[in-house]
Amino acid sequence: MPFSRRSTFSNAVLSFLMLGLSMLPATATAELEKLNDGELSEIDGAGIGLVLEDFIFSHGTDAPDVNGEQARIFRIAGIQSTDGREVDITVNHLYIAGSGSDYGTNLTPVNLGRLLNPWRIDVVDGNDIGITNKAVLEFAAPAMVDAAQGYDCLGGSAAAGSGTCSSRPATQDWQGERADIGMQMNVAVGDDRSANLNLHARSAVIDGSYLRLWGDDERRQMAGEFRLNFYSPELTINACSQDGTNCGSNIVMSDFVLQLALGNRLQPIYFDVDGSGNFLLEIDTIDAPGTGQIAANGQRAGSDAATWDFYNDYYSNPEFRSNVHIGDFSVGEKNFGSARVEGMLIQHLQIQTKDLAQ
Amino acid sequence: MSRHQLLSKAAAIVAALMCSPFAIAEMAPLDDAGMAEVSGRGGIYLSGDISINELGGPIQNDYFGRCNEQDKKCGARLAYQLKEGGGWMVLDEIRGMFAFEGLTLRVRSIDSGFGGDGELFNRDVIELGLPDTVRFNDVQFKIAASNTPRPTDPGFMQTDIFDVEMQGDVLMQGNLLVFPEGNP
Repeated sequence: MPFSRRSTFSNAVLSFLMLGLSMLPATATAELEKLNDGELSEIDGAGIGLVLEDFIFSHGTDAPDVNGEQARIFRIAGIQSTDGREVDITVNHLYIAGSGSDYGTNLTPVNLGRLLNPWRIDVVDGNDIGITNKAVLEFAAPAMVDAAQGYDCLGGSAAAGSGTCSSRPATQDWQGERADIGMQMNVAVGDDRSANLNLHARSAVIDGSYLRLWGDDERRQMAGEFRLNFYSPELTINACSQDGTNCGSNIVMSDFVLQLALGNRLQPIYFDVDGSGNFLLEIDTIDAPGTGQIAANGQRAGSDAATWDFYNDYYSNPEFRSNVHIGDFSVGEKNFGSARVEGMLIQHLQIQTKDLAQ
Repeated sequence: MSRHQLLSKAAAIVAALMCSPFAIAEMAPLDDAGMAEVSGRGGIYLSGDISINELGGPIQNDYFGRCNEQDKKCGARLAYQLKEGGGWMVLDEIRGMFAFEGLTLRVRSIDSGFGGDGELFNRDVIELGLPDTVRFNDVQFKIAASNTPRPTDPGFMQTDIFDVEMQGDVLMQGNLLVFPEGNP
């Protein structure tokens, strides 16, 4: 029966085709469209949290053996002095370890970041942080917390409610989230090798620090906002002879606090390289708000309210200001007491590298 | 056997062959208690070394070459522009070898420890176990600023800011824990 044979054949072909068709949706994709800045800025996905558990980092340069070979080398070079001599920084020891390291001699593990308040890499909605209609890439250290739950940033107390830092100091039961950080280095200009310079920070915290990056439409340039908070109960600088046996006086800064604000939402930092290959870092002067007069007596009454509020916010916002506090500054036996530099506002800054060889 | 019969048999066999990878026994859902018994023991343990232009890169021209050619540069170069029409930041002459043993990767469930944080956290994280020591063999790189992306471009000028050289065993202990953070 030719009809039934054809029907068997067409059925088989049909089932084969249907099977093939059923597999198609897996490969068919809709066309992808670009998101504009405004749409992108609305996206606020979960960021990535990072915690370093039981962390120790240590590297340095060993003394040469009898054959002049060194097992470990850590060197920063390529810098030239004004008279054209090579500057070579040999890092004898760079360490990040638990507090109580006794200036890097006894390295113990430390946690960096807390599970409940970790380091973060995130794309945040600029509208939430005053950068209008931008998606902002943020690298952030653990955020500051409410004083009711936080810990004293300088480590005097390990009791909750003693300060605004999230990272905890070490106790008998817990290694804490505050690291000892130190660097011992030797600077040589040409053949002239100086003494060793040592820098140690004990139980350091950088909570509340962040780097935010975004693109500026008008300048078509990368813009940023950088905040560095650095707290340490003791920051020590000293110089020793090259073999490390004879050390000069210690410069000790106890209860050291640095709150550095480079760039803000009104005056971002701009990064660039100029036409001759030199790096350029700039904080531009602030854009004046729309037309509006400030009264001669400087009071809000009689001034344009929006203009007055704009300048009032700019000059009074503590987030835009940089501070340095030193609880006690001493050099050897001499004690200079405490020092404070407060409320520095960077209104314009331009740093440009220059190649002296040219 | 007629041609039609032959073809229909062939088509049926092909269809059956296509089907077979998808033919599986019926799947039954696991309940919560059953799921709780499942324990992924798997993880990844990595040892090895990564060489970047140890002897020289793939490009050979009047600027780049092998590392034993004195007048040639042999490291990798990465240039990025920070402003439209502006100059380029450069990570230049990247070369060397990193060797490590015992880099681990696994999923870990945290519900205790961490000074009391673990119990409140009570989630899974990706754990990257650092290898204790990483051996650096002649690792070098240079930070520079340049007016053109490629050194072979006309009018090339570059200012080297500084360069770093690392050699020997670097102590790197601990675990890097990675997890989603924030409210999506």
